[in-house]
Amino acid sequence: MITIEGVTKRYGQTVAVRDISFSVERGEILGFLGPNGAGKTTTMRVITGYFPPTTGNVTVCGHSVLDEPIEVKRRIGYVPENPSMYNDMTTIDYLRFVGAVKGVPKAVLKGRVEDTVDRCALKSVVNRRVGELSRGYRQRVALGQALINDPPVLVLDEPTTGLDPKQIYEIRQLIGSMAGERTVILSTHILPEVSMTCNKVVIINEGRIVAVDSTENIGKGLDQTRSISLVARGPFDKIKRCLASIDGVGGVKQEGESYTVETDKGNDLRPLIAKRVVDEGFELLELSSRAMSLEDVFLKLVTVEEEEKTS
Amino acid sequence: MRNIAEIYKREIRFYFTSPIAYVVMIIFTAIFGFFFYRSLIYYSELSYQLMQNPYYGQRIDLILGVFGPVFGNNAIIFLMMIPPISMRLIAEEKKSGTIELLFTYPVKDGHIVIGKWLAAATIVAVMLILTLPAPFMAFGFTQSAEWGPVFAGYLGLFLMGISFLSLGILISALSENQIVAIIISYGVLLGFWFLGWVMDPSSGKTIGKVLSELSIIDHLNNFVKGMIDTKDVVYYVLFIFVSLFLSLRVLESKRWRG
Repeated sequence: MITIEGVTKRYGQTVAVRDISFSVERGEILGFLGPNGAGKTTTMRVITGYFPPTTGNVTVCGHSVLDEPIEVKRRIGYVPENPSMYNDMTTIDYLRFVGAVKGVPKAVLKGRVEDTVDRCALKSVVNRRVGELSRGYRQRVALGQALINDPPVLVLDEPTTGLDPKQIYEIRQLIGSMAGERTVILSTHILPEVSMTCNKVVIINEGRIVAVDSTENIGKGLDQTRSISLVARGPFDKIKRCLASIDGVGGVKQEGESYTVETDKGNDLRPLIAKRVVDEGFELLELSSRAMSLEDVFLKLVTVEEEEKTS
Repeated sequence: MRNIAEIYKREIRFYFTSPIAYVVMIIFTAIFGFFFYRSLIYYSELSYQLMQNPYYGQRIDLILGVFGPVFGNNAIIFLMMIPPISMRLIAEEKKSGTIELLFTYPVKDGHIVIGKWLAAATIVAVMLILTLPAPFMAFGFTQSAEWGPVFAGYLGLFLMGISFLSLGILISALSENQIVAIIISYGVLLGFWFLGWVMDPSSGKTIGKVLSELSIIDHLNNFVKGMIDTKDVVYYVLFIFVSLFLSLRVLESKRWRG
């Protein structure tokens, strides 16, 4: 559906993204994850045809962004990070204008505008000026203008930034409701957002892709160790020594009454640890196994890369 | 075509829902009206005096006596009034960031420029239409209404107005700041006007003649006298074409640079 091949984008001397490649299949929701300034917005702007890549190419539904930018743009709905819209227009006029500019046929434009108003829950603000709307409504208008011509691809740049928790929930629901029918690329620096809404993740840092995988698999490759956390009461150093003496335990970290035990992969030490702690006469309050969260993966990937660079 | 029409409609709506169009039109017609009134009074006094001498009386008419000076002065009013119309066309979209979405819509850059240009040209046309009561009133005093030369004058003014506008769009595309855009517009337009003064074209030197041919206001002279010269029409059309073409190139190069 969307293929990004060896895209590099330079602004003068600065390289914003360097030789990135990935692809998105029809109906997928791809999370584009990275810290601020990693090159997420630049990549999205290249995909949407806002500016051409310095080198490389992007194809959307078989159309190259370099050769047929108009065809590509016809198929993409874009919501920029801080969407600037025509503040002097009312919501309904604005949606109608965008629909017409995007080439929605006159005969269906009215119906399409009504559908979009319903879908994005904009009924109460149709006659208000876009400039007067609250952040949440503006974001929904922005989503509305992206959806107005019913494009097969949606590109959303940090769609939930600056919204309150309820609005974030609503926007995520809206994005989730489009899974399957549309291909969505969504950038964010909020990790839970990716695990919640996306089925594929691309992690980008300093203009380079550091990982591409499905949301479930992304941790596996790096998950060399499994960590077990437990809460126990008793003398700290004794507990620590006891835990460290167990076969297969890599390391023990202690913080107050909680301990984190690093163990070898594929070796579930939980029963053994429970038994030993109790046998030694300490009070075991909690014991759980923790798979690496996306956050861990992300931090690990980003820091590993930095270490490699310094060495 | 529909893209152009939609962008045109949006710009027109903007001009008329914001004070810009009204302020420019009111001030323009007021100044035009003042010049017209002064010329008419002067002309009527002059013709009263000349009636004493029938020989001179045949040498003046409304075109040379009233419309010539009024249209000539109008060049300066246009020079002041058109940059405020053109300065926002692209600079504002860049400043507010609305250009980001516009650039991701399936619209060619050329269509954006043409749509905006046509909208601003409409404002210039409306400004001129608002002054039409003047010739109607003037001709009301005479038996022989000469519309041809007046039409030529209006055509010249319109061509010059939209030439100013086209240059304004180019400068608006170059700058993000509207104040900078308007001041550069004034500077460049005055520069094009002064080209004619750099050297006396009658001195016989080629360079003087070339410079005076490039002067944007000198080309209005024939129109004002009631003559439509192909040379002048071609000058304005070329001026507009080059300005719009460069605006498009500027937009494209900004895009490549990101």
